[in-house]
Amino acid sequence: MVTKSKLKMALVAEKGVDFKKLKLKRKQKDAARHERNANGGAPVEDENADENEDEVEDVEGGDAEDDDEDEDEDVMIDLDALNDSDTSESSIELEEKIPRKPSKKIPAPVEEEDDEEEEDDEDIPMSDLEDLDDADKEDLIPHQRLTINNTTALLASLKRIAIPTDKSVPFISHQTIVASEETAESIPDVSDDLQRELAFYQQSLDAVRLGRSRLRAENVPFSRPKDYFAEMVKEDAHMDKIKAKLVEEATNKKAAGEARKLRDLKKFGKQVQVAKLQERQKEKRETLDKIKTLKRKRQDGGGGDLGTKEADLFDVGVEQEIGKQNQRSGAGRGQSAGGANHKRTKKNEKFGFGGKKRHAKSGDAKSSGDLSGFDAKKMKAGGRGKVTKTRPGKARRKSMGTK
Amino acid sequence: MAAVYKSISKSSATKVDAPSNGIKRNKQRVLILSSRGVTYRHRHLLNDIASMLPHSRKDAKFDSKTKLYELNELAELYNCNNVLFFEARKGKDLYVWLSKVPNGPTVKFHLQNLHTMEELHFTGNCLKGSRPILSFDAAFEKQPHLRVIKELFLHTFGVPEGARKSKPFIDHVMGFSFADGKIWVRNYQISEVEASKGDEEEDKSHKSRGGKDTDVNLVEIGPRFVLTPIVIQEGSFGGPIIYENKEFVSPNQVRSDIRKGKASRHNARAEQTVGRLSRKSDLGLRTKGPRVAKSELDTKMLFA
Repeated sequence: MVTKSKLKMALVAEKGVDFKKLKLKRKQKDAARHERNANGGAPVEDENADENEDEVEDVEGGDAEDDDEDEDEDVMIDLDALNDSDTSESSIELEEKIPRKPSKKIPAPVEEEDDEEEEDDEDIPMSDLEDLDDADKEDLIPHQRLTINNTTALLASLKRIAIPTDKSVPFISHQTIVASEETAESIPDVSDDLQRELAFYQQSLDAVRLGRSRLRAENVPFSRPKDYFAEMVKEDAHMDKIKAKLVEEATNKKAAGEARKLRDLKKFGKQVQVAKLQERQKEKRETLDKIKTLKRKRQDGGGGDLGTKEADLFDVGVEQEIGKQNQRSGAGRGQSAGGANHKRTKKNEKFGFGGKKRHAKSGDAKSSGDLSGFDAKKMKAGGRGKVTKTRPGKARRKSMGTK
Repeated sequence: MAAVYKSISKSSATKVDAPSNGIKRNKQRVLILSSRGVTYRHRHLLNDIASMLPHSRKDAKFDSKTKLYELNELAELYNCNNVLFFEARKGKDLYVWLSKVPNGPTVKFHLQNLHTMEELHFTGNCLKGSRPILSFDAAFEKQPHLRVIKELFLHTFGVPEGARKSKPFIDHVMGFSFADGKIWVRNYQISEVEASKGDEEEDKSHKSRGGKDTDVNLVEIGPRFVLTPIVIQEGSFGGPIIYENKEFVSPNQVRSDIRKGKASRHNARAEQTVGRLSRKSDLGLRTKGPRVAKSELDTKMLFA
C-alpha cells in the first residue's frame, strides 16, 4: 500500500512553504541564465531592453511553475482516490477518513495568513539578540521562522473532533474542568519553583473541589472505600522504596541533629573542664602563697602573742580580698597568670625548640647503667612499709588548708 | 471459552451503550509508542503514562522517523483512534506527537524537564486505571491552537467513561497549566481528609455516599514534564501546517548558538592577533615583513 508517490504526496503536503522557496530559487536561476544569454548574444544592447526581457522571462517562469503545481495536484487526487478504498471498519468507530482536498486551499490560506506577518519575516528576532554580546551580534545571521496560525483551519479541525463538555452532557462523561482564571497570572516568576508548583497545585485543587461537587450531584461514587483493593499505579515494591527513602531521610536528619548537639556539648564541656581545672590550680597556688606569707611573718615578727594574732587576722583578711580579685581577673584571662606554661615546656621538650630531640626517649648506655631507681630494700616484701608518705592525712590536709 | 464470553459480553455491552438520547458515546483508544533511540528516562515516562491510561495500547518501538504517516495504518491495525508518539532525536531531545488518527489534527511538542514517577519519590498513589479529573488552565480556552491541544489532551489523557479496565472511583487529577509559552503537566492524588471533627456523627451518616464533610487535599504522584507546542498539522502525521510556534527555538539551535558564541570569541581574538601582526609589519617592525620603502628624506639616505 505504501507507494512512492504517497510519500511524495506527504512530503509535498508537509512542505507547503518550502515549495514556494524552491520556486523562487528556480526563478532566480532562470533569470540569471537569461541575463547571461542576453549579454552574450547582444552585448551592445542598452539596459532598458535587457530589463524588459527579464520581465518577460519572469512572467513565463511563473506560468511554468503554475503548471508544475497543477501536475502535483493531479497526482494527489489520484492518490486520495486510492486511499479512500482502504478505510476499514472497526469497533472503535474511527471517523470517516476525509479525502484531503488537494485544491489550492492547502497553500492558499497559509499564504493569506502569512501576508500579515510577512512584514517581519526577514526581521531579527530581537528577543533572541538582547542577551548577546555586541561582539556576537555581528557574526550572527538572524533567522526568523514564519508564524502560521491558521485560525479557521484550527477551529474547523477542533469542531471535527470535539467531544461535548458543556452543561448538556453529564460531567462524568468527560471530567474536564477549565479554570476560571489563568494560572500564569499567579506565577510572578516561572523559574521560582515553589511559587510555580503552588499555582499548579491550587489550580488542580480548585478543579477537584468543583469536580467533586459536580460528581456528587450526579450521584457518582467518588472516593474509594477502605476495603476496595486493586492494582495501583505504583506497585507495593515502589511504595516500599519511597517509604524507605522517607525513613532514611528522617533518620539522617535526626542523626545530623544529634551529632550537632553532641558537638556543641563537647565544645562547651571542654570549656567548662578547662575553667574548672584552672580555678582549682589557682586556688591551690593562692593557699600556698598564703601559707608562705604567714610562715614568713611568723618567722620575722617575734612580737607579742596578741599582736601577732591581730596582725595575722588582719593580713589574712587583706590577702583574701586580693586573692578574690585576682581570681576574678584571672578567670577571664585564662592561664596567663600562671608562670611557665607546663604544656608548652613539655611540648618543646618533645617536638623541639632547639637541639636534637630524636631518640630522646630511647635508652642508651648511660640510662641503662643508671641504677638510681633501684633499691634492694624495695624488692623485699617488707620494704613497702618503710616508704615515707609524702602526702599528709586528710584531717591534716584540711587543717592546713584552713590555716 | 474466553472468546465466547467476550462475544456475549460485547453484545450486551453494545445494547447498554446504545445511546438513548442520541449523544454519541465517547470512545477513545490510544496507541502509545516511541521511536528508536529513546533513553531509559523517556521509556520510563512512556511506561508511567501507559500505566495511567487503561484505554491505551502500547506497541513496540517504531523504526522510522521520516515515514510517520505509517503510524496511521498501525493505529488502525490496533483499532486506536489516538496516537501518542515519542520521537527521540540525538539520544537526548524528545518530541511528542499527539494525533487523532484518520483525519487529524496532529500536534508536535518538545518535551523538557522530564521526571519520571520513579525518580520523584512522591508519596502519592492512585488506582491503576481510575479516571482522572482533567484540570485545564483558563488559557486553554483563549487561543484556538490551545483549544485544539486541550481537546487532544482530553482525548488522550482523559479515560473515557466505561473504558475497559478502568476503575469506578476518582482518585487523581491531571493538571495542565500554560505558563511561559509551555504546557506544564502534573499529576496529583486526591486524598480526602476530615474537615472538622465536631460533626463526626453526621459524617458517619453520609459515609455511604463518600463522606460529605471531608475536605480534599492533593499529594503529587508524578511524573512531571513540560511540553512546548511546536506545530499543529491539519492531517494525522501529515497535511498542511495550521499552526507553528514562532517562539520555539529548537534545542539544536540553542546548542549551536552556544558553540558559535564560544567560537566567535576565539575568532575575534585571532583576528586581533592577525591585525596586530600586519600593523607591525607595515611599520617595518618585523624581520619577515616587507620593509618600508625608504624615503629620500630619510636621515640614512641624506647622510649616506
